[in-house]
Amino acid sequence: MNLKMLVSYATLGYPNREDYLKLVKGLVDAGSDILEIGLLPKYAKYDGPVIRRSYKQVSSWLKDSWGLLEETRRAVNVPLVILTYLEDWVSSLSELLTKMRETGIDGVLFPDLLIDFVDEYEKYVQEIKAHGLKAVIFTSPSVPDPLIHKVSMLSDMFLYYGVRPTTGVPLPVSVDSVITRVRTLVDNKLVVGFGLSDINDMKKALNAGADGIAIGTIYIEEIEKNGVESAISLARTFRGIINGA
Amino acid sequence: MVNNEEIVPSYWYNIIPDLPKPLPPPRDPPDAEFSRIDLLRKIMPSEVLRQQFTVERFVSIPKEVREAYINIGRPTPLIRAKKLEEFLNTPAKIYFKYEGATPTGSHKINTALPQAYFSMKEGIDHLVTETGAGQWGTSVALSARMYGLNSTIFMVKVSYEQKPQRRTIMQLYGANVFASPTPHTEYGKKVLNDNPNHPGSLGIAMSEAIEYALSNGYKYLVGSVLDVVVLHQSVIGLETMRQLQEIDEEPDTLVGCVGGGSNFGGFSFPFIGSKKGTKYIAVGSYEVPKFSQGAYNYDFPDSAGLLPLIKMITLGRDYVPPPIYSGGLRYHGAAPSLSMLIKEKIVDWREYNEKEIFEAAQVFLQTQGIVPAPESSHAIRAVIDEALEAKRKNEKKVIVFNLSGHGLLDLPNYESMMKRIG
Ligand SMILES: Cc1ncc(COP(=O)(O)O)c(C=O)c1O
Repeated sequence: MNLKMLVSYATLGYPNREDYLKLVKGLVDAGSDILEIGLLPKYAKYDGPVIRRSYKQVSSWLKDSWGLLEETRRAVNVPLVILTYLEDWVSSLSELLTKMRETGIDGVLFPDLLIDFVDEYEKYVQEIKAHGLKAVIFTSPSVPDPLIHKVSMLSDMFLYYGVRPTTGVPLPVSVDSVITRVRTLVDNKLVVGFGLSDINDMKKALNAGADGIAIGTIYIEEIEKNGVESAISLARTFRGIINGA
Repeated sequence: MVNNEEIVPSYWYNIIPDLPKPLPPPRDPPDAEFSRIDLLRKIMPSEVLRQQFTVERFVSIPKEVREAYINIGRPTPLIRAKKLEEFLNTPAKIYFKYEGATPTGSHKINTALPQAYFSMKEGIDHLVTETGAGQWGTSVALSARMYGLNSTIFMVKVSYEQKPQRRTIMQLYGANVFASPTPHTEYGKKVLNDNPNHPGSLGIAMSEAIEYALSNGYKYLVGSVLDVVVLHQSVIGLETMRQLQEIDEEPDTLVGCVGGGSNFGGFSFPFIGSKKGTKYIAVGSYEVPKFSQGAYNYDFPDSAGLLPLIKMITLGRDYVPPPIYSGGLRYHGAAPSLSMLIKEKIVDWREYNEKEIFEAAQVFLQTQGIVPAPESSHAIRAVIDEALEAKRKNEKKVIVFNLSGHGLLDLPNYESMMKRIG
């Protein structure tokens, strides 16, 4: 498959059980290659206000996250990657990973792995893999070059590169130059996300050599404004942009 | 000998890609009622913000800014402190980079100029900031004027009253200078309401400045701590490196004082990044003991908590520093990049008390003639100790330090120190 990837993010349970399931199915039908599912964290350290709002909303009613993940698994057939913060799970990591594996989740991505746990990241990556899960590694422009190169080879599925320090806040960042810089360091597939704010950013990322883009905040904003159907149709638009790139 | 102007670099150096570990990104606090990261977009000029998050190792200095650097007298001189060496009777050679040679008397202008330039390019016509002792406010006032912009400076009320000369310079440069707390912001009004005689604080002045910028559509300039400021200050270290090359000198030890970390970082990071030198010493104040007692944590850079959390060595944003004379060192944290380098033991630190730095200042001004800013005297004290150690060990070291500013407007402080400890 030579086509570049669309990785779509959904907050587990947002905006409600029914619409969430409609959303994940719709995102896949619209051409998402992989779904990232955000599991309610205690502290969404690197998430911007929009994704935080979605977590807050979900926290008010969602009790059975695992049940809903099982339903998600049944609803779609693309790889599912859980996005959550390692900080919340350090003392119960094995249970978390076992549960994911049992639920049919494919992989896990901890955005804080290389930042707050950089001295022990290899141990955690091994533990993820030992549970039969894919370890998708999150990097960002402040990760030193040699480390990006090293983890790009360890990362399963693709290397995630977050171009902005937080999701969903369009800080002025030269998207193309930060990607050009890492492209030469990464032999693996490179998926760019975190704060891709508009179509222009996405095109820049793809032209600068990204193998895929990860979208999240924009869907949630669209759901807030116009509902789930409208978010799904955005995914279709993004798929078109990727195919055209 | 090269043409002096060629010493001024055409790019700034950014240490972020050369740090040993990923630099922890800024964060919004848990359960934030608004996004401080998002707020930055409204507060700061957008090119300044882009540079704050850049990972390019070299960021080009716009031609106009480089010309402005030359116009204010850059490169600043690198001077051998021969008389100090003789006085200490040390085999070490001592050099200092003299940032007091700028019109505003300190390194602060090195970042005020580009920030004002980028603001002007973005069509902003009014800059706002806070100032404690006045060094930073003076630099913003002059830089704004040079690009035809207005400026408003919220000066901590006690300093406003005790340092009338600083206030006068800012006014001569054309700035509006307010004694903070003021009735011009909601925050100031609240403070005055609780205590009409409030002496002010840097935190209050900063909150006022940010609020004033936001409500009027002006931009706020940051004077230290953030990566972009350290980036701009790298002009100091890059020039020094070039000046040392010209005289075939290899530095061993590099020393600077630390308030928020901008002059130290700007001076030493180019050397650290190119692995020149073997020892880097960051010098803080014993009375504001962030290195010895601070924690390496996420904390607010401003006491009002309007800016995002950054991971740094910090005494806590609510820490109230004692009223020492080195106003520029009365800050609770240190720049994230510097904090990491200290944690990783790449940069050493020292802390000296007021008596120790007063003695050092006296030795320096009596041998070299320059009255150092009390902040810079901290660096001088560490240099003296290093030079004396070199004497004991009979080592021919090359010690280079940054003299971040002169102290000609701090004479009342020295006078008072002379009475108490001199
Ligand atoms: C002369 C002088 N040196 C040093 C400092 C400390 O600041 P920084 O650590 O950002 O260089 C100040 C700050 O006001 C200053 O005025």
